[in-house]
Amino acid sequence: MRRAILSVFVLLAAAAALSAQAPAAFAEKPALLTSVGQSADIEMVKVLLSRGKVDHTADPLVTAAKLPGGAKTLVLAVGGSSKGLGAAGISTEAEIDRAKALIKRARELGMKIIAIHVGGEARRGTLSDAFISLCVPVSDYAIVVEDADKDGLFTKLASQAKIPLVKVDKITAAGVPLAAAFK
Amino acid sequence: MKKLFSVFVLVAFAAALIAAQTPVNLYGRAAQGAKGVVAAAKPEASQVGIDILKKGGNAVDAAIATAFALGVLEPNASGIGGGGFMVIKMANMKEAVVIDFRETAPAAAKPDMFKFGEDGKVIDNASVVGGLSVGVPGEVAGLLYALENYGSKKMNREKVLAPAVEWAEKGIPVTVNLASIIQSELGKINKYPATAKIYTKDGLPYELGETIKNPDLAATLRAIAKDGKDAIYKGEMAERIAKAARDAGGILTAADLANYQVKIRKPVTGTYRGYTIVSVPPASSGGTHVIQILNILENMDIAKMGPGTPATTHAWIEALRLAFADRGKYMADADFVKVPLKGLANKDYAKVLAAKIDMAKAMGSATADDPTKFESGSTTHFSVMDKDGNMVAVTKSINYFFGSGVTVPGTGFILNDHMDDFALKPGHVQSVEPGKRPLSSMTPTLVLDPDGQPFMTVGSPGATRIIAAVAQVISNVIDHRMSVQDSIMAPRVFAMASGQVQLEGRASINTLKGLEALGHNVNVRADWDAYFGGVHAVLFDRKAKVLYGGADPRRDGQAAAF
Repeated sequence: MRRAILSVFVLLAAAAALSAQAPAAFAEKPALLTSVGQSADIEMVKVLLSRGKVDHTADPLVTAAKLPGGAKTLVLAVGGSSKGLGAAGISTEAEIDRAKALIKRARELGMKIIAIHVGGEARRGTLSDAFISLCVPVSDYAIVVEDADKDGLFTKLASQAKIPLVKVDKITAAGVPLAAAFK
Repeated sequence: MKKLFSVFVLVAFAAALIAAQTPVNLYGRAAQGAKGVVAAAKPEASQVGIDILKKGGNAVDAAIATAFALGVLEPNASGIGGGGFMVIKMANMKEAVVIDFRETAPAAAKPDMFKFGEDGKVIDNASVVGGLSVGVPGEVAGLLYALENYGSKKMNREKVLAPAVEWAEKGIPVTVNLASIIQSELGKINKYPATAKIYTKDGLPYELGETIKNPDLAATLRAIAKDGKDAIYKGEMAERIAKAARDAGGILTAADLANYQVKIRKPVTGTYRGYTIVSVPPASSGGTHVIQILNILENMDIAKMGPGTPATTHAWIEALRLAFADRGKYMADADFVKVPLKGLANKDYAKVLAAKIDMAKAMGSATADDPTKFESGSTTHFSVMDKDGNMVAVTKSINYFFGSGVTVPGTGFILNDHMDDFALKPGHVQSVEPGKRPLSSMTPTLVLDPDGQPFMTVGSPGATRIIAAVAQVISNVIDHRMSVQDSIMAPRVFAMASGQVQLEGRASINTLKGLEALGHNVNVRADWDAYFGGVHAVLFDRKAKVLYGGADPRRDGQAAAF
């Protein structure tokens, strides 16, 4: 019985390893963290970056004009929240425009872009999917808590854009591949 | 090969277990029994109440045990640092009684205590997050008052508090609902280390299936069991609570706690199609406006119009608009301001308002009328009823999820942010004054049948949506003859005096199109949206001698019975 349980763990670990295609460290510090969708998930990514000892500043509403602001990598905490957008006094369209301009300017400046989605299945839906579809294809690397990819949206977007995607089983596990992306 | 097969079976079993923990279970929320039912926002809390009834406690004993347990099991919604309202009608009481344990403004509070930025918002969100948002908590005083005055006396404080202590020690399950709330409120939680220590793992949220233990809260509950309300309102604990609020920018003092008073009030009453509605007066607006809305709708044949139809939904929207217009103008703590309660609940006044409803056209926005001519002479909710017809409805809250975010270090409980329920600028009936209670929408309500006998206990969390949720469930039961569970599950609608109509996603497309054709600007929300509250109700079928408990799948509600 113990061997069987051990085998389950081995299988699960193997499955996790298969879903992970983490690239070698490619991003430079410091990072600038922003939200795309104004969900509270940016708070979790902030903690993950701090734990991973990645120097960063966070500004959920940073605009293209403020880039690079000393940063060399742009981290996008992706996930839509109508409550968050309302509190920030910004419409969905305006948020998409801000994100597009931000990404364009980051590219012009040669910054690396990492998209991270930690909200899981609960942070999916029409609103979030608009932001996910915008950010994942234009990123250099994407990380997702895997239950958000039950329908394969992240896998499809990453595969079409030919970028590495790492799927983790829980929020706490997202810190390792995130920190490992930084030189 | 055999081993490999076993491994696959185990993997499949593990997968099934994980799947079983996923949301939204629409089944198994209701319960029925002959002796007693408790319907609360957590199944474990409902069971706590049932266990007390089984041990010989009465409905109040069960309610108080459930209330303390909910403070542990649903810490984002209510607890020792909050307040609320309770309506009790024991079978041997001629009239129901309302226990108002709403928070009060601290003595140093001023109408202009909140400062506004150029963007028109309160600077640093200080009315919602931090010490300035904290009102003087009333929960422990209110719950113990009820236990001492209406409990069976067979259950002492220690017995009633024991289940809450046990849950705090062994830990509470992180459900889908709780996990998502912690994630959403992580910024607020991490701002205060004592709160982050309990509800995060080094700053990251607990996740689905994990357990959150709170031994400090267990110790605080034990102290309450031993010393009663003095364990909170006097001595070292009062000083610690005040210091925690002040360290977070607040103005609370130990004297504010020592001076806190529970208010015993006469309920506001009305009728709806022969049924008697018994609910809470100010400092809650809820009871009065539920009666007002039902009075308006009584002028229409809602049953004939049918549940969820465009006509019925239109009538609801307009009735809500009219009631909320009056609420904005007249409602406040009646101990400080003269509120035209009788006029607002008057059936002739409702006729005047009903006449303003054009069934062929949306009014768009409503303005307050004048109820004074008719003056003659918000959270978690649970309901308890037993076979003898003893009825208890309790709604309690720390306001926003995780309240002010401020945990009193070493005590395990979070302080409320109910100061945000005042009008935040001077010059309004609802402006801040020392000792004043902020206006609430909490609406714990009892319904008596046309013979005046116990029929239903009902209430909900959900801020201003509470009023609509409670009224709609009552109408679903009385007008549409739905079971209590169906009446809770039915899609809801909400509207303020002006602005968009909020419609739950499961409403029919015909209803949506019909409303738009009448000129309503409708925002369609999620299919099962916690925005619309979380109603927990018990209905008594006297003839069949069966109690039916209904609970809301929009949150973690589940009833228990025996």
